[in-house]
Amino acid sequence: MAYVAGVTHALNAVADGLRLSPEFSPSPRQPVLPLPDPAQAPPEVKAVFDEIVGFYALDRPPPVFRWMARDVGFLQSYWPATRQAFTDRTLDRLMKEILAFAASMTGKSDYGVDFHLREARRLGLTDQALTETVEVVQLFNTVTKIADALCLQPDFDPRRSDHLGAHHPAPSNTARPSTNV
Amino acid sequence: MEIVRVTEAHELAAEDQRFCDATKAWFKIDFVPKMSRVLLTVPEFGRPYGRASRRAMADGALTRAQKELIATMVSAINVCEY
Repeated sequence: MAYVAGVTHALNAVADGLRLSPEFSPSPRQPVLPLPDPAQAPPEVKAVFDEIVGFYALDRPPPVFRWMARDVGFLQSYWPATRQAFTDRTLDRLMKEILAFAASMTGKSDYGVDFHLREARRLGLTDQALTETVEVVQLFNTVTKIADALCLQPDFDPRRSDHLGAHHPAPSNTARPSTNV
Repeated sequence: MEIVRVTEAHELAAEDQRFCDATKAWFKIDFVPKMSRVLLTVPEFGRPYGRASRRAMADGALTRAQKELIATMVSAINVCEY
Protein backbone atom coordinates (compact mmCIF):
# COMPACT_ATOMS: atom_id res chain seq x y z
CA MET A 1 0.00 0.00 0.00
CA ALA A 2 2.84 2.39 0.78
CA TYR A 3 4.29 1.99 -2.71
CA VAL A 4 0.88 2.73 -4.21
CA ALA A 5 0.58 5.82 -2.01
CA GLY A 6 4.00 7.09 -3.03
CA VAL A 7 3.77 6.45 -6.74
CA THR A 8 0.19 7.73 -7.01
CA HIS A 9 0.97 10.89 -5.09
CA ALA A 10 4.06 11.52 -7.22
CA LEU A 11 2.39 10.95 -10.58
CA ASN A 12 -0.57 13.09 -9.56
CA ALA A 13 1.75 15.87 -8.41
CA VAL A 14 3.53 15.88 -11.76
CA ALA A 15 0.35 15.59 -13.83
CA ASP A 16 -1.61 18.25 -11.96
CA GLY A 17 1.41 20.47 -11.49
CA LEU A 18 2.08 20.50 -15.23
CA ARG A 19 -1.65 20.85 -15.96
CA LEU A 20 -1.69 17.65 -18.00
CA SER A 21 -5.17 16.87 -19.31
CA PRO A 22 -7.03 13.94 -17.76
CA GLU A 23 -7.03 11.01 -20.15
CA PHE A 24 -10.68 10.01 -19.99
CA SER A 25 -12.67 13.11 -19.05
CA PRO A 26 -13.21 16.35 -20.94
CA SER A 27 -10.98 19.10 -19.60
CA PRO A 28 -9.97 22.59 -20.66
CA ARG A 29 -6.51 22.05 -19.20
CA GLN A 30 -3.49 22.64 -21.37
CA PRO A 31 -0.02 21.43 -20.40
CA VAL A 32 2.25 24.23 -19.25
CA LEU A 33 5.10 22.56 -21.15
CA PRO A 34 5.02 20.64 -24.44
CA LEU A 35 4.80 16.86 -24.34
CA PRO A 36 6.85 14.71 -26.70
CA ASP A 37 4.83 13.24 -29.55
CA PRO A 38 4.66 9.44 -29.09
CA ALA A 39 4.73 8.98 -32.85
CA GLN A 40 8.17 10.59 -32.92
CA ALA A 41 9.52 8.56 -29.97
CA PRO A 42 12.87 6.79 -30.41
CA PRO A 43 12.81 2.98 -30.22
CA GLU A 44 13.88 2.79 -26.57
CA VAL A 45 11.00 5.09 -25.57
CA LYS A 46 8.56 3.30 -27.81
CA ALA A 47 9.45 0.01 -26.10
CA VAL A 48 8.45 1.47 -22.73
CA PHE A 49 5.33 3.08 -24.16
CA ASP A 50 4.30 -0.31 -25.57
CA GLU A 51 4.57 -1.82 -22.10
CA ILE A 52 2.55 1.01 -20.58
CA VAL A 53 -0.31 0.86 -23.07
CA GLY A 54 -0.37 -2.92 -22.67
CA PHE A 55 -0.47 -2.72 -18.88
CA TYR A 56 -3.34 -0.21 -18.88
CA ALA A 57 -5.07 -1.49 -22.03
CA LEU A 58 -4.86 1.91 -23.69
CA ASP A 59 -4.31 2.93 -27.28
CA ARG A 60 -1.77 5.62 -26.38
CA PRO A 61 0.56 6.34 -23.46
CA PRO A 62 -0.95 8.56 -20.74
CA PRO A 63 0.30 12.16 -20.71
CA VAL A 64 2.22 11.76 -17.46
CA PHE A 65 4.42 9.07 -19.04
CA ARG A 66 4.75 11.08 -22.24
CA TRP A 67 6.15 13.84 -20.06
CA MET A 68 8.64 11.45 -18.49
CA ALA A 69 9.84 10.47 -21.96
CA ARG A 70 11.69 13.79 -22.14
CA ASP A 71 14.34 11.91 -20.16
CA VAL A 72 14.53 8.39 -21.53
CA GLY A 73 16.63 7.05 -18.69
CA PHE A 74 14.22 8.36 -16.10
CA LEU A 75 11.22 6.84 -17.88
CA GLN A 76 13.03 3.53 -18.26
CA SER A 77 13.74 3.50 -14.53
CA TYR A 78 10.51 4.88 -13.11
CA TRP A 79 8.03 2.92 -15.21
CA PRO A 80 9.11 -0.53 -13.94
CA ALA A 81 8.78 0.74 -10.37
CA THR A 82 5.29 2.05 -11.15
CA ARG A 83 4.33 -1.25 -12.74
CA GLN A 84 5.61 -3.21 -9.74
CA ALA A 85 3.71 -0.98 -7.32
CA PHE A 86 0.47 -1.81 -9.15
CA THR A 87 1.10 -5.48 -9.89
CA ASP A 88 -0.83 -8.25 -8.10
CA ARG A 89 0.93 -9.19 -4.88
CA THR A 90 -0.55 -9.45 -1.40
CA LEU A 91 -3.03 -6.84 -2.60
CA ASP A 92 -4.52 -7.43 -6.00
CA ARG A 93 -4.38 -4.90 -8.77
CA LEU A 94 -8.00 -3.84 -8.39
CA MET A 95 -7.55 -3.08 -4.69
CA LYS A 96 -4.44 -1.07 -5.50
CA GLU A 97 -6.36 0.97 -8.06
CA ILE A 98 -9.13 1.55 -5.49
CA LEU A 99 -6.48 2.79 -3.06
CA ALA A 100 -4.96 5.01 -5.75
CA PHE A 101 -8.42 6.41 -6.48
CA ALA A 102 -8.92 7.12 -2.76
CA ALA A 103 -5.50 8.78 -2.62
CA SER A 104 -6.34 10.89 -5.67
CA MET A 105 -9.68 12.00 -4.25
CA THR A 106 -8.05 12.89 -0.95
CA GLY A 107 -5.26 14.74 -2.74
CA LYS A 108 -7.82 16.52 -4.92
CA SER A 109 -6.09 15.35 -8.08
CA ASP A 110 -8.29 15.71 -11.17
CA TYR A 111 -5.79 13.72 -13.18
CA GLY A 112 -5.54 10.93 -10.63
CA VAL A 113 -9.27 10.59 -10.02
CA ASP A 114 -9.87 10.34 -13.75
CA PHE A 115 -7.09 7.85 -14.36
CA HIS A 116 -7.56 5.53 -11.39
CA LEU A 117 -11.36 5.49 -11.54
CA ARG A 118 -11.17 4.39 -15.16
CA GLU A 119 -8.57 1.77 -14.34
CA ALA A 120 -10.48 0.44 -11.33
CA ARG A 121 -13.64 0.24 -13.44
CA ARG A 122 -11.75 -1.63 -16.12
CA LEU A 123 -10.51 -4.12 -13.53
CA GLY A 124 -14.01 -4.77 -12.19
CA LEU A 125 -14.99 -2.07 -9.68
CA THR A 126 -18.78 -2.22 -9.27
CA ASP A 127 -21.11 0.71 -8.57
CA GLN A 128 -21.68 -0.56 -5.04
CA ALA A 129 -17.97 -0.92 -4.33
CA LEU A 130 -17.39 2.58 -5.73
CA THR A 131 -20.09 3.98 -3.44
CA GLU A 132 -18.55 2.25 -0.44
CA THR A 133 -15.09 3.51 -1.37
CA VAL A 134 -16.26 7.10 -1.59
CA GLU A 135 -18.08 6.77 1.74
CA VAL A 136 -14.89 5.62 3.45
CA VAL A 137 -12.93 8.43 1.79
CA GLN A 138 -15.50 10.94 3.04
CA LEU A 139 -15.59 9.52 6.57
CA PHE A 140 -11.84 9.48 6.99
CA ASN A 141 -11.34 12.88 5.45
CA THR A 142 -13.70 14.00 8.21
CA VAL A 143 -11.98 12.33 11.13
CA THR A 144 -8.43 12.99 10.00
CA LYS A 145 -9.18 16.71 9.88
CA ILE A 146 -10.88 16.60 13.28
CA ALA A 147 -7.88 14.74 14.68
CA ASP A 148 -5.43 17.22 13.17
CA ALA A 149 -7.47 20.25 14.25
CA LEU A 150 -7.34 19.02 17.84
CA CYS A 151 -3.78 17.64 17.55
CA LEU A 152 -5.01 14.28 18.80
CA GLN A 153 -2.19 11.93 19.70
CA PRO A 154 -2.52 8.31 18.50
CA ASP A 155 -4.34 5.76 20.64
CA PHE A 156 -1.75 3.16 19.71
CA ASP A 157 2.04 3.15 19.68
CA PRO A 158 2.93 2.58 15.99
CA ARG A 159 6.42 1.35 16.91
CA ARG A 160 5.02 -1.66 18.72
CA SER A 161 3.96 -4.72 16.80
CA ASP A 162 2.09 -6.10 19.81
CA HIS A 163 -0.08 -3.02 20.27
CA LEU A 164 -3.38 -4.49 19.06
CA GLY A 165 -5.89 -3.95 21.79
CA ALA A 166 -3.39 -2.25 24.05
CA HIS A 167 -4.01 1.28 25.17
CA HIS A 168 -1.29 3.84 24.55
CA PRO A 169 -2.51 6.71 26.74
CA ALA A 170 -1.35 10.25 26.32
CA PRO A 171 -0.23 11.16 29.84
CA SER A 172 -0.89 14.85 29.32
CA ASN A 173 -4.54 14.30 28.57
CA THR A 174 -5.97 14.83 32.03
CA ALA A 175 -3.20 16.87 33.60
CA ARG A 176 -3.57 20.03 31.59
CA PRO A 177 -6.51 22.39 31.93
CA SER A 178 -7.91 23.39 28.56
CA THR A 179 -11.12 23.84 26.66
CA ASN A 180 -13.34 20.83 26.34
CA VAL A 181 -14.57 19.89 22.84
CA MET B 1 0.05 17.76 22.27
CA GLU B 2 -3.73 17.88 22.23
CA ILE B 3 -5.23 21.36 22.33
CA VAL B 4 -8.37 20.25 24.18
CA ARG B 5 -9.13 17.97 27.07
CA VAL B 6 -10.55 14.81 25.54
CA THR B 7 -13.68 13.74 27.35
CA GLU B 8 -13.27 10.57 29.38
CA ALA B 9 -15.64 7.74 28.47
CA HIS B 10 -17.38 7.84 31.85
CA GLU B 11 -18.19 11.51 31.32
CA LEU B 12 -20.25 10.82 28.22
CA ALA B 13 -24.03 10.62 28.33
CA ALA B 14 -25.46 7.43 29.79
CA GLU B 15 -27.13 6.52 26.53
CA ASP B 16 -23.76 6.71 24.78
CA GLN B 17 -22.17 4.10 27.04
CA ARG B 18 -23.70 1.36 24.92
CA PHE B 19 -22.09 2.91 21.84
CA CYS B 20 -18.77 3.00 23.69
CA ASP B 21 -19.09 -0.70 24.50
CA ALA B 22 -19.97 -1.44 20.89
CA THR B 23 -16.93 0.53 19.75
CA LYS B 24 -14.62 -1.49 21.99
CA ALA B 25 -16.14 -4.70 20.67
CA TRP B 26 -15.92 -3.48 17.07
CA PHE B 27 -12.20 -2.76 17.35
CA LYS B 28 -11.48 -5.57 19.85
CA ILE B 29 -9.88 -3.16 22.27
CA ASP B 30 -10.34 -2.48 25.97
CA PHE B 31 -10.66 1.31 25.81
CA VAL B 32 -12.74 3.88 23.97
CA PRO B 33 -10.63 5.60 21.28
CA LYS B 34 -10.11 9.33 21.60
CA MET B 35 -11.88 10.01 18.33
CA SER B 36 -15.04 8.29 19.53
CA ARG B 37 -14.95 10.35 22.72
CA VAL B 38 -14.33 13.56 20.81
CA LEU B 39 -17.21 12.86 18.43
CA LEU B 40 -19.61 12.04 21.26
CA THR B 41 -18.70 15.16 23.20
CA VAL B 42 -21.40 16.78 21.07
CA PRO B 43 -23.86 13.88 20.86
CA GLU B 44 -25.95 15.57 18.17
CA PHE B 45 -22.86 15.32 15.97
CA GLY B 46 -21.32 12.12 17.23
CA ARG B 47 -24.35 9.87 17.22
CA PRO B 48 -25.34 10.29 13.57
CA TYR B 49 -21.68 10.34 12.53
CA GLY B 50 -21.14 7.10 14.44
CA ARG B 51 -24.11 5.48 12.76
CA ALA B 52 -22.84 6.55 9.32
CA SER B 53 -19.38 5.28 10.16
CA ARG B 54 -20.52 1.90 11.43
CA ARG B 55 -22.71 1.46 8.38
CA ALA B 56 -19.99 2.47 5.94
CA MET B 57 -17.24 0.34 7.49
CA ALA B 58 -19.20 -2.91 7.67
CA ASP B 59 -18.60 -5.70 5.20
CA GLY B 60 -20.32 -5.00 1.89
CA ALA B 61 -19.11 -5.11 -1.67
CA LEU B 62 -15.76 -4.34 -0.06
CA THR B 63 -14.64 -6.15 3.06
CA ARG B 64 -14.05 -4.34 6.33
CA ALA B 65 -10.33 -5.00 5.92
CA GLN B 66 -10.32 -3.42 2.48
CA LYS B 67 -12.15 -0.41 3.88
CA GLU B 68 -9.59 -0.08 6.65
CA LEU B 69 -6.89 -0.03 3.97
CA ILE B 70 -8.70 2.80 2.19
CA ALA B 71 -8.96 4.63 5.51
CA THR B 72 -5.24 4.15 6.02
CA MET B 73 -4.55 5.55 2.56
CA VAL B 74 -6.66 8.63 3.29
CA SER B 75 -4.80 9.09 6.57
CA ALA B 76 -1.45 8.73 4.82
CA ILE B 77 -2.27 11.25 2.12
CA ASN B 78 -3.55 13.67 4.77
CA VAL B 79 -0.40 13.02 6.83
CA CYS B 80 -2.61 12.32 9.84
CA GLU B 81 -0.63 10.69 12.62
CA TYR B 82 -3.73 9.85 14.63
